[in-house]
Amino acid sequence: MLYREAGQFKTSYGADQSIFPIRQDRIALLLFGLVAVFAVPAFASNYFLETIFVPFLVFALAAIGLNILTGYCGQLSLGTGGFMACGAFFSYKLAIAFPELHVVIVFLLAGLGTAGVGVLFGLPSLRIKGFYLAVATLAAQFFLVWMFNKFGWWTNYSPSGVISAPPRDVLPGFAVTGSSGDPAIKYLFLLVFVTLLALVAKNLVRSRIGRSWMAIRDMDIAAEIIGIRPLWAKLSAFAVSSFYIGIAGALWAFVYTGSVEALAFQIDRSFQVLFMVIIGGLGSILGSFLGAAFIVLLPILLNSAPAALGLPIKVETVSHLEFMIFGGLIIFFLIVEPHGLARLWQIAKEKLRLWPFPY
Amino acid sequence: MNAATTRFGIWMLSVPLAIAVIGLGLQGLAAADSSLFFTWGYFLEVLIAGLLQGVLYSLVALGFVLIFKASGIFNFAQGSMVLFAALTMVGFIEMGLHWTLAFVVAAAVMVVVAVVVEKVVLRPLVNQPHIILFMATIGIFYFLDGFGQTLWGSDVKVLDIGIPKDPLFILDGIFEGGILVNAFDLVAALVGAALVAALAVFFQYTRIGRALRAVADDHQAALSVGIPLKTIWAIVWSVAGIVALVAGIMWGSKAGVQFSLALIALKALPVLILGGFTSIPGAIVGGLIIGAGEQVAEVFLGPLVGGAIQDWFAYMLALVFLLFRPQGLFGERIIERI
Amino acid sequence: MYGEKHIGEAILRVDNITLAFGGVKALTDISFEIRKHEILAIIGPNGAGKTSMLNVINGFYHPQKGRIEFRGVERRAMRPHLAARQGIARTFQNVALFKGMSTLDNIMTGRVLKMKCNIFQQAIYWGANQREEIEHREVVEKIIDFLEIEAIRKTPVGRLPYGLQKRVELARALAMEPDLLLLDEPMAGMNVEEKEDMCRFVLDVNDEFGTTIALIEHDMGVVMDISDRVVVLDYGRKLADGSPDEVRANQDVIDAYLGVSH
Repeated sequence: MLYREAGQFKTSYGADQSIFPIRQDRIALLLFGLVAVFAVPAFASNYFLETIFVPFLVFALAAIGLNILTGYCGQLSLGTGGFMACGAFFSYKLAIAFPELHVVIVFLLAGLGTAGVGVLFGLPSLRIKGFYLAVATLAAQFFLVWMFNKFGWWTNYSPSGVISAPPRDVLPGFAVTGSSGDPAIKYLFLLVFVTLLALVAKNLVRSRIGRSWMAIRDMDIAAEIIGIRPLWAKLSAFAVSSFYIGIAGALWAFVYTGSVEALAFQIDRSFQVLFMVIIGGLGSILGSFLGAAFIVLLPILLNSAPAALGLPIKVETVSHLEFMIFGGLIIFFLIVEPHGLARLWQIAKEKLRLWPFPY
Repeated sequence: MNAATTRFGIWMLSVPLAIAVIGLGLQGLAAADSSLFFTWGYFLEVLIAGLLQGVLYSLVALGFVLIFKASGIFNFAQGSMVLFAALTMVGFIEMGLHWTLAFVVAAAVMVVVAVVVEKVVLRPLVNQPHIILFMATIGIFYFLDGFGQTLWGSDVKVLDIGIPKDPLFILDGIFEGGILVNAFDLVAALVGAALVAALAVFFQYTRIGRALRAVADDHQAALSVGIPLKTIWAIVWSVAGIVALVAGIMWGSKAGVQFSLALIALKALPVLILGGFTSIPGAIVGGLIIGAGEQVAEVFLGPLVGGAIQDWFAYMLALVFLLFRPQGLFGERIIERI
Repeated sequence: MYGEKHIGEAILRVDNITLAFGGVKALTDISFEIRKHEILAIIGPNGAGKTSMLNVINGFYHPQKGRIEFRGVERRAMRPHLAARQGIARTFQNVALFKGMSTLDNIMTGRVLKMKCNIFQQAIYWGANQREEIEHREVVEKIIDFLEIEAIRKTPVGRLPYGLQKRVELARALAMEPDLLLLDEPMAGMNVEEKEDMCRFVLDVNDEFGTTIALIEHDMGVVMDISDRVVVLDYGRKLADGSPDEVRANQDVIDAYLGVSH
């Protein structure tokens, strides 16, 4: 009854092609935005902000990056952790070298640097496909983490090997990095930053370049005969994807944990982001957000469920169970809905159109 | 002399040649840089140790090849199958069974795992693109990992079935002091060789083996002559599971049975790239090259950059290989038909 | 027929093309030309090498011998995306659509060479990129009207029946505004009505847009009806080359089709 498109006729192609063509969607988005901007910082505790919302936004950005490469362009990558490390360490070196540079510029430049690295490790994709390419990205993953760990130059020869992100303000007076930042400020900054980047990603994905990526994914031979250059398409996917993942890494180090260390970006981080993308939905910007939320919330739920239900389960058993549930969920999603939560969301909306009628 | 024999001959000659060239190169490097140390005896020692380590890699890679050959699926879970199999066997030994009996029981468990995987995961996903299947095996990886540790605990387990671990010194006539070789590694190599031989006989001379080769070649054709695909897949995964068990025993005896065993799967990838995903001899050769290459690089080149090269050396080697010979040394050329 | 048609000079010429895969010779010493504005049919029994011939023109296969001359420029082998850039479009026997995208998006990918906005303009979207998207959407909608596939424009192509998929593939090829259109069995698997529709579309494309068309086809009725010239292949060799009537009367062709022992 509520969710009806009847009466909403599009009179221009522009209107037809907008991101949210249905009026109810736009209203819902507005409400959601108001809640996110005003209600959450006001009512959520610092703990919630710091352990749920901040990592959720950072992971969502990484998931968008990986989704561009794997979901839209079909190039499987297990190197996400390594690229995040690039973003983190590039930002660190830039921030130390140019103390006057605004932190957002630092992040964007670090992203560009990571894009370059991504293109380098993406070059093999011109000759190899599928999980052969995954091996190349594994090479990137292991090599990059080793490099950042091994060479003291990256950490400014810090004796402990763990360095904290230098404090920076996003606007004068509003610190946003590390421990000096107020969680509410961090959250709002990330909300705006990630939303803008997500919008850019959505724009790319519905334009010529996004279609080229999807063409390569679906049938690269056919893409070639239309005139799409596989070289260009794949490398641009690597570049844009690494840009996003690099910024996510920088945000992780500067805003979320406050420390820059290579150990935070190992192979399990790559798998974590890959799971977000699979469960959330390959080839969907919304799916990246849903998947990130899912993976961030699941361990918290699993950790608190036994206590809430009164079951005595040891901490380490919980982590084993987590593995099992992750694995099981991956398989479940791949069988039932390979397009992930995003598709389930779409189906729900379609059913909502008819509600309360059954068909 | 036909083409195959000449090719074989060329290979046989080029291998010692390559080793000699690499040795000379490293010797030159060590002469130039004082932080590096090189003697021919030491070089051979490291080489042999690496080769034997490579046999262990090959054992794991074998499981991959089996499944890939029969179903075209890259089974990322092979590593966790190794872990799970080893954990199960240790678990039964700790319950008091003699290790031979524990082996049989563990093998049976792996068969059950194979059947369940085929029914629950493979059948529903049968027509999906390979990347989906690959990701499903990542799911199996995590599941088996968690499951194994839930059942048997996550402490490092000792697996001792009586394989000798003494160091041996050989060739002390040619090289001063002799070359240090570990008895365990020799046993592992023998076991690996025996396993490969057994698999070769199985594939070549038994009816099931023939059916497996048919399925690996062409699913449709195999179906049309009445070969039951699902049974074949269950069999293949069982065999891969038993191979995983053997690999698990070898690795576990050497390094203890622990979680990191599952990550061996990642190391098997470069082995497969080098050897080709569909070739059993390729898995062996690839494993040997990766094992030897890793050790030699770590010992003789590592000091140049602060060590721990073996973290990434295998992958870089595989990457370089991919650029020049994507199908590996023994794999089949991929021809795309439009 | 549709009235006076001006068939021009050769737009494509292949000379002495020989293509072999290992020991198997797919094409042996094939030479023919395709003339501007004409409809050329390539026919022959199964396995004659017809698709291989198109693949050579397209740049998928590189012949061991021979040369291709397209619009005066000579080369041994093409690269597929260069062929596209020069105005050669193509459809496939086993529909090569992008299964993950809708009809509209599939056809829009055909416009990729005509779209000029750079990545930054696309990232911002509003302004230049949106105008370009709308401009090309209008062109695509004209093609959709032309091929009568309005109802399925938002449907994911994987869900469409085979006949409609072939039409969408044709639409995508047309979106490239090609000078030479290569159709590989565009009417395979269609019933009589669908075939008539497709014939009408092919003729309309040739008539309205002046596109040169080369098609592989098995249905002799279609071939005789719509083509201006016919090239006959058998076992990788050219048997005949001429107007439909000439070819129909050619003894070699009759032998090949009826199967005379060689």
